Amino acid sequence: MPSDTDKIFANFKEHSVAEFFKKNKQMLGFSGKVRSLTIIVHEYVTNSIDACEEAGILPEITVKVDELDKEGERYRVSVQDNGPGIPKKHIGKALGQMLAGTKFNRYAQQRGQQGIGATGCTMYAQVTTGKPVKFVSEWDGKKLKGEISVDIKTNTPNIQNLVEEDNPDKKHGLFVQGEFGEVKYDRSLGSVFEYIKRTALSNPHATLTLIEPNGEKVQYPRSVEVCPARPKETEPHPLGLAVSDLIDMAHREGPSATLAVFLRERLQRVSDAKVAELAALLNGSNPGLPKIDFKKPARELEWPQAESLIRAFAMVKWIAPESNCLRPIGAEQIQKAMTAILAPDFAAVTERPPKIYRGGIPFLVEAAIAWGGNAGHVDSNSQRGGDIVRYANAAPLLFDVSGCAITKAVKDVEWKRYNIQDFEQAPITVFVNVVSVYVPYTSAGKQALSDEDEVYQEIKYAIMEVARKVQLHVGGIRREHEQGERRKAILRYVQQLSRDLTDLANKGKSEELAKRLTDLIETKYMGQIMEGKNEDGSESSNGNGKKKKVADEEEEEEE
Amino acid sequence: MASKQPQKPAPRSVRKADSGEVIRKLEHLGLDMLKEIDDKQTPSFTTALRSKGNVLFDEGVGCLRLGEKVEQRKFVNVGQARKFMQTVAIASKCKKFLREDSHTSIRGLFYQLKFSLGEDLDEELFSEQSESNPLIEDLEVAIDVKREDLNLNTDRKGVVAGPMKLRDKFGGDETVIDCTKQGRSGWMVPSDVDNGMTIEQLDADYVLVVEKDAMWQRLNEDKFWKKENCILITPKGQASRGCRRLISRLAQKKLPVIVFTDCDAWGWYIYWAIKTGSMNLAYLATDIATPQAKFVGVTMQDIKDYDFLGKLTIKAKEVDIKRAEEMLGYEWINRHPEWVNELKTVLKTQKKIEQDALQGPSLSFVGEYLREKISKKKFLP
Repeated sequence: MPSDTDKIFANFKEHSVAEFFKKNKQMLGFSGKVRSLTIIVHEYVTNSIDACEEAGILPEITVKVDELDKEGERYRVSVQDNGPGIPKKHIGKALGQMLAGTKFNRYAQQRGQQGIGATGCTMYAQVTTGKPVKFVSEWDGKKLKGEISVDIKTNTPNIQNLVEEDNPDKKHGLFVQGEFGEVKYDRSLGSVFEYIKRTALSNPHATLTLIEPNGEKVQYPRSVEVCPARPKETEPHPLGLAVSDLIDMAHREGPSATLAVFLRERLQRVSDAKVAELAALLNGSNPGLPKIDFKKPARELEWPQAESLIRAFAMVKWIAPESNCLRPIGAEQIQKAMTAILAPDFAAVTERPPKIYRGGIPFLVEAAIAWGGNAGHVDSNSQRGGDIVRYANAAPLLFDVSGCAITKAVKDVEWKRYNIQDFEQAPITVFVNVVSVYVPYTSAGKQALSDEDEVYQEIKYAIMEVARKVQLHVGGIRREHEQGERRKAILRYVQQLSRDLTDLANKGKSEELAKRLTDLIETKYMGQIMEGKNEDGSESSNGNGKKKKVADEEEEEEE
Repeated sequence: MASKQPQKPAPRSVRKADSGEVIRKLEHLGLDMLKEIDDKQTPSFTTALRSKGNVLFDEGVGCLRLGEKVEQRKFVNVGQARKFMQTVAIASKCKKFLREDSHTSIRGLFYQLKFSLGEDLDEELFSEQSESNPLIEDLEVAIDVKREDLNLNTDRKGVVAGPMKLRDKFGGDETVIDCTKQGRSGWMVPSDVDNGMTIEQLDADYVLVVEKDAMWQRLNEDKFWKKENCILITPKGQASRGCRRLISRLAQKKLPVIVFTDCDAWGWYIYWAIKTGSMNLAYLATDIATPQAKFVGVTMQDIKDYDFLGKLTIKAKEVDIKRAEEMLGYEWINRHPEWVNELKTVLKTQKKIEQDALQGPSLSFVGEYLREKISKKKFLP
């Protein structure tokens, strides 16, 4: 019902979202110069990847960042994808109208849940440089060029210099280019550089290219040739909703839909019996739960009522949401991406079944560790150290590092137990992707996961599981290295000893004795490496005994 | 007296070892190692542990000796490989010295073995003498020989005068040394008094060991050894291995050994090292200790007996007090009530007195003092 939707939006935007944005852009992630640039690139790139996947195209995306003034606060961002392109009638909404993106009508697990979308970028360009965003959209043998801005008062797109051409090559894709102020390019942890790398890690089927302001080209070619299956679209489960989500949805309903119908039709697991249960709770007799008229049109739902509904949802026993809509990246894909991008000495990935949090929200955790090679983060002093790459539904989380449950879980792992003496100094990248239809973000900025107990524990166990695989590898390297060093230390004495001992005993030949001593040393140390023994013959801590103990501990913790 | 069963002394050869036998012992050490290699084992070297924890007092013999604890060094062990190689290098080098009948000092040995292990190796066989010295001792203990038997000389120290003749076979020559005809300088005790040295004639009644060279010169000038018919020896401070070995050999010839030192920490230490051996050389104890030695002075009792000494005492230093306390804790010392009394007096009065003080009244008074105390057997055990 697109026409209805348009009308509803027109009503809803009485005090324009765009106006709101202008005043509160930091709430939407535009805080800090480096971060703002990353948010812009993120919006374009996730839109591109989603569009490609929807069309079954293997994404090929090029991001170019140019510095426009000496002070380095004004940059031009250009993004070209090979997606299906956007037809003329949709382009205005896609790039020039807030909360009008296609994804607002769907509740499948998707990357671009940030909500400000490409329109947010358009607006940011307007606010900081006063310039519209240029676009070139190619689809179905057509090519559309133009410039777009947002009419901030009315939240409507304003398209200028529109040129329509034929596209005989039947190329497809979208090109957007905007000029942005109050931004900055570098290679720090929250930068575009890091974002592209992390996006490549979680999207092994995409080829991502970044051309930096200094002309340097960083390319991550795809390591997987299959486009992931589209996630199944499902209605949201009552337990997965925030107040604002509920209002957004309700206000999109037509005038005839009552609240009761809306709840039953648009939410998962809501039957007439459940609506009756909710109505009983919300009949005005319960303190803190004001009376709600379920016969009123859903589109008239107001904030306090929505709040009460959410509170009541938590008091009703629900059937768990469907979990078949979860879409992990996949162990094989992660392994391939890490191998291709980080060229580690060793990489390990977990595959764990979905779990439930907050009594019914399905989620699953994918964890992976890369060790050695280019794994780990290199700081400004060229020191390599442990790196945590966080994802929610495969979208990288670059900010609010310390407030995130993933960071906490990684830090809480006793790395020493896994032969990693100091995580901060280790050549290690820990990859964690939390997959859920309702990712428990800490805030609207959607850059960190909240400390939900079940989610935190599951992340920790996933990391521990994969750390055990790394432990064997790292332990093996260390043991081999140590034994090798020992072997060498002793071997250097063989010649001298052989001469002296043959002289002393007055028997045998020095060269022959040297050979026998060398064999003796090789046998001992190679034997120890194979058996996982230490110098004194005791069982190495990397051996099975220890591993068993750790496994036991996890079981204990899980109890 | 403690009523402990006398313990069996460690089996040690008191007699001098002949070089052929030492060579055989060294070769045997090497052959044992080769046998271990034949058995696919790491070659190893076993020696008695020479740490303080393995030093015990042997009541039966009356000297310090090593206990039963042993130390094993293996080549195929990263912590022991270098030491093992070095030990074999020392053994092999000493065997060469014995074959060539050449002698050197432990420093000379160190320089013989201070060379690079190879062009591509940034490591020397030995780089400090402190590395080779203890390994020599390990080898001595392991094959039950003294370093002198390995043709390793120690520093000569100690001077002798008195009615004794020695035959010295050295460098192909033979000399007879008459210790009554050594003038003002006396005969210097060599590092090795066993190999190539024999006592030809010995007519003395006892042996007098005086701590200081100055005191020895005093008594020599006074012809004390002639008048008293004794062997007058000064170790010139702490007695060298050769000097202790000589005193021990003379005691075996049934001569009483009387020691005269300062009444202070250093003096006591010199006496007890002669009598029971020292902790460091516990592995040689039965060879170099003289358990029957007696201590003539200077004692705290002397201060009471000789009025003038009262004015010549000096304040005991911290080291003297500490040493006196330590000695009270040693079973081989505190078993003698006389020594307990002596040391407690030192602790109480905080005084010490030097043997030189006996020259106070007149230069030769020290002779009278010794004569009187020796004739009246006023000794500490």
